[in-house]
Amino acid sequence: MKLIKIQVENLNLYYGKVHALKNISLGLEPNKVTALMGPSGCGKSTFLRTLNRMNDLIDSCRIEGDIEIDSENIYSKDVDVVALRKKVGMIFQKSNPFPKSIYDNISYGPRINGVTKKSELDEIVEISCVKAALWNEVKDRLNESAIGLSGGQQQRVCIARALAVNPEILLMDEPASALDPIATAKIEELIFELKNSITIIIVTHNLQQAARVSDKCAFFLSGEVVEFNSTRKMFTKPEDERTQRYITGKFG
Amino acid sequence: MYQYLEEELDQLRTRIIKMGSLVEEQIELAFKSLYEQNLELANIVIERDDKVDKYDVKIDKQCQRIFALTQPVAIDLRLIMSAMNINNDLERMGDIAVNIAERTLNFIGYQDLLERIQLPEMTKKVQAIVKGAIDSFVNNDAQMAAEIIKLDRVIDKAYEDIFERLIHEMTENKNLIKPCSHAITLLRNIERLADHSTNIAEDVIFLVDAKIIKHRKDIDSAEDSPTV
Repeated sequence: MKLIKIQVENLNLYYGKVHALKNISLGLEPNKVTALMGPSGCGKSTFLRTLNRMNDLIDSCRIEGDIEIDSENIYSKDVDVVALRKKVGMIFQKSNPFPKSIYDNISYGPRINGVTKKSELDEIVEISCVKAALWNEVKDRLNESAIGLSGGQQQRVCIARALAVNPEILLMDEPASALDPIATAKIEELIFELKNSITIIIVTHNLQQAARVSDKCAFFLSGEVVEFNSTRKMFTKPEDERTQRYITGKFG
Repeated sequence: MYQYLEEELDQLRTRIIKMGSLVEEQIELAFKSLYEQNLELANIVIERDDKVDKYDVKIDKQCQRIFALTQPVAIDLRLIMSAMNINNDLERMGDIAVNIAERTLNFIGYQDLLERIQLPEMTKKVQAIVKGAIDSFVNNDAQMAAEIIKLDRVIDKAYEDIFERLIHEMTENKNLIKPCSHAITLLRNIERLADHSTNIAEDVIFLVDAKIIKHRKDIDSAEDSPTV
């Protein structure tokens, strides 16, 4: 029997009267990269945000169904949302470092979680930077502003910042869409390394990126999951004709 | 971008079909030259091989270009992979047609030998297999392709029978050693035409059903394509 990290059952999400996610049921395995793909407005980013309750911040949003992480329903009333978001980190399309030093960005999470000892924070910053494949580039300039870094480096600072609180799951919403090919390759290599210890869910519009980095793929269309399959299968012999049309660019 | 890919794939398909039709005709003319002892036809086949080779290069270049520029997946990827393999087989079949045409001269005066060993019957069966393989690609017909693959066994059997007949002819009449030796090479060439046709049929099954069946005896238990 397969281990499941995130179990989604009959998930429906409404923005006011708009039915944005329809009857979604998926089992996402631990230490795997799952890519969510589909045309704009199909619900993939909305789905991603349900996994750490980012949609709670939208007034008109209403959710039905269950999402369990490690067999615990993340929408039950007694869930500590801050603790949930510590466990389920998120990286956005546009890097969003704080206007602070690199060191302060990465140590921010541990600090608000009560770590005060300088030596401990130093260690967390170094480990997080190493994990984010950033250490060699920033080790001599940790006190410089993160805003002064390149786009690719800023994105990796954000990843290091997310890793600093030891998340078990990382949600990535088009993390490389604003980056050049070299910075993109670094992020993709990083994803490959990180999956040894973290479960990763990535939204991407770049089909080749989905093919390169993911183990499994979910194809979203109009709020529904049309196909959830291994990436190998998805890109060689998809089961649904709509998936085939989408990945071969014949959609529409 | 996607329209570009569509156009490229359409053109690739058309080129394979045109090349297939040309090679089929080359084979037909080569046999005609052989059995009718028509050296003029043989020369036409030899000269036209250049045209087959040009298709080969064009198709190779086009596949390379599509891979480099569009990173195809799924059915598109399978079409290009199949096209590359089929192109290779057709080019070899074109060369075999030339070899057969070139042997016309060796059999002038020995038509009765070819009849006795029943080579024309095997030739007809091979021509049907060649046509069937190319038609299965034109029609995207995996079932037809599967039938073609099964027919290859008939050709293998005919090969063995004719080979035995040739040995018998040589044993009986030493004056026939030279034409029989040429006939053994000819027989091998004809059998290879069926093998290349079988390869094409296997590629059609890969194209349509994403199943890799080469080197497998039981085509029904073939695996789906395993990798990206």
